[in-house]
Amino acid sequence: MHKKRTKITIVLTLALAAILFFTGCAKNDSITIGSKDFGENIVIAEMLSQLVETHTDLKVNRKLNLGGTFVNFNAIKNNQIDLYPEYTGTGLTAHLKMDVVNDPDESYRIVSEEFVKQWDIVWLEPFGFNNTYTLAVTPEVYEKYGVETYSDLIPYAGELVFGAEHEFFDRQDGFNGLVEMYGLNFKGEPMKLNASLKYQAIGRGDMDVTDAFATDGPIKQYSLKILEDDLGFFPPYHAAPIVRKEVLDKHPELKSVLNMLAGKLDDATMTELNYLVDVEGKAVEQVAKEFLTSLNLV
Amino acid sequence: MNELMTAIAEHLTIVAISMVFAAIIGIALGVFSYWKPRVGRYIIGIAEIIQTIPSLALLALLMIIFGLGDLTMGVALVLYALLPIIRNTYTSLTELPPYIIDAARGMGMSRQQRLVKVEIPLSIPMIFGGLKVALVNSLSIAVMGVLIGSGGLGYIIYRGIQQRNMDRILLGAIPVVVIALIFDWGMGKAEKRLQKHAR
Amino acid sequence: MRMITFFSKNSEAMFASLGQHIALVLIAVGLGMAIAIPSGVLLTRHKKIAPYFLALAGTVQTIPGLVMLGFALIIMGIGTLPALAVLTIYSILPILRNTYTGITEVQPAYKDAAKGIGMTKRQVLFKVELPLALPTIVSGIRISAVYIVSWATLAGMIGAGGLGDWIWTGLATYNTDYILAGAIPSAILAFAFSALIGLVQKLITPRGLRRNA
Repeated sequence: MHKKRTKITIVLTLALAAILFFTGCAKNDSITIGSKDFGENIVIAEMLSQLVETHTDLKVNRKLNLGGTFVNFNAIKNNQIDLYPEYTGTGLTAHLKMDVVNDPDESYRIVSEEFVKQWDIVWLEPFGFNNTYTLAVTPEVYEKYGVETYSDLIPYAGELVFGAEHEFFDRQDGFNGLVEMYGLNFKGEPMKLNASLKYQAIGRGDMDVTDAFATDGPIKQYSLKILEDDLGFFPPYHAAPIVRKEVLDKHPELKSVLNMLAGKLDDATMTELNYLVDVEGKAVEQVAKEFLTSLNLV
Repeated sequence: MNELMTAIAEHLTIVAISMVFAAIIGIALGVFSYWKPRVGRYIIGIAEIIQTIPSLALLALLMIIFGLGDLTMGVALVLYALLPIIRNTYTSLTELPPYIIDAARGMGMSRQQRLVKVEIPLSIPMIFGGLKVALVNSLSIAVMGVLIGSGGLGYIIYRGIQQRNMDRILLGAIPVVVIALIFDWGMGKAEKRLQKHAR
Repeated sequence: MRMITFFSKNSEAMFASLGQHIALVLIAVGLGMAIAIPSGVLLTRHKKIAPYFLALAGTVQTIPGLVMLGFALIIMGIGTLPALAVLTIYSILPILRNTYTGITEVQPAYKDAAKGIGMTKRQVLFKVELPLALPTIVSGIRISAVYIVSWATLAGMIGAGGLGDWIWTGLATYNTDYILAGAIPSAILAFAFSALIGLVQKLITPRGLRRNA
């Protein structure tokens, strides 16, 4: 009987130790930075990580490439990550589930207020670029139909295959809202893929139309034609770091460090960085470091 | 290079910790199945069922319960490691020649003493074999950690897939395969030597 | 319950995915059998190099699924075809190994007896060795099928269709309903294949060769 009890105690202690190890690992002097699963978001998160490591005593626990928008948002709400780069339009429609607001300042104001009120999450200063959803078509489609705006697609939609990443079909500012507002009836079932496979699919001609992010590198690479959102469906998407308020309060030095990139990334710069990472396949760490060095930030 | 080293360290850590737990739980359950064969049949049956569940499915289901992170992967690895360990422990114990058990009984050993002094030492080669299988499997399964917010070499591999970068995929994949082969070969050799010893 | 509403709303799509998944498994395992069984027989005729081949096939098996899918993606692109290529490769080892062991474990006495009554080598193969090795071979097919159900869920990542799609969507959007919609049927499918083929295995085992049922 003795032996059994000692055995059980040992096992339970080990179990407890392991659980503590896994869930609470070194939360004291470190912060956890997450990111979505596409190049732009990963590179920004990496830059933020490097800034924190350079300018504070904190250690950064990187959880980059965590998953889509909802994975990251759930993770930050559940305190599994402390911050990640988010977009105002996404915050407004996907998370707050409110209607589209087209004025960028207004949209920023709303998300800032509501995120603190509802979830104790703070929006820091925007980086400067507007990475809006756009619709992109293959050069073949453009040549054949000469479409310039979303509305131009309406008569031909039945012959075109639409594809996008999974979450586009789950969001207010996504597929359902888009096709409803414009009355678009695409051919068959839309293709749903992982975010980074989107451009491979359209490049191979597996689909004709896709939602693209305005600053995506592959747009240039595949000579995709960006159409104009003539009815103004998509809101502006200005990117900024969103952080748990608790973490900012605990480490006041973080705020100024995380704001070091404020206004430093305009559309052109971001597109360039994305191109390096997504098209030239350069390592995110390297691209981030070189850019920050060029700005004398590390 | 730094990224690779960190990834390898993370990968090995989570596999190692899970294996320790799996070994303790697995061997214990194997012994229990040996002592109580009727319950044992259910235990092994459940382990077989777990083994049949597609790994991505189990991982996703565990994520629903435990959330993102290393804990989820750890639990998955332990669950998948159970069958080989339990089964090998159980089979080895049940296949021990009866005369050895009689001899031990004759010497006045209690059931626990018999287990610790005779039965388990004789079963070590086969238990070790089960650990080997479990370990090699775990190294491969742990690659999927990237999908549920856990660390390891899967992160590099996945980045390679996203960037259509064959080199990066290989950078993450080759260590996994090489380490798996080393363990498979090394533990296989050790297993053979243990078998000779047990004779 | 919310799950039930989800199932009823999406049942048609889910059944379609189930069908695709079953098709993937059947084709991959079928092709695997077509390649592995003859190869296994061939290996038994060249016992010296057999260990090397089996070791090579074994090494391929240790390559994580995500990696093979990554290769297929880069080389062949998105869709069902690249997925099938990977799945077929994975289905080979269990069947190959079991064909080899199954045939080598046939008691020489049977083969001698057959030769003694004048059977040609070909007849010995088809009338003695294969039938006796069949239970082991079918066991290998069972293992292979269960593996492939599992790998096929991963294949959803490269747009192969099947139940994996649901799991991937669920992971991408942190949506429990989708995950369950993919995970539960695929688990049941794995059990079903295992049970069915296991039944076949039991039925074709000659009574004389059966161990405890």
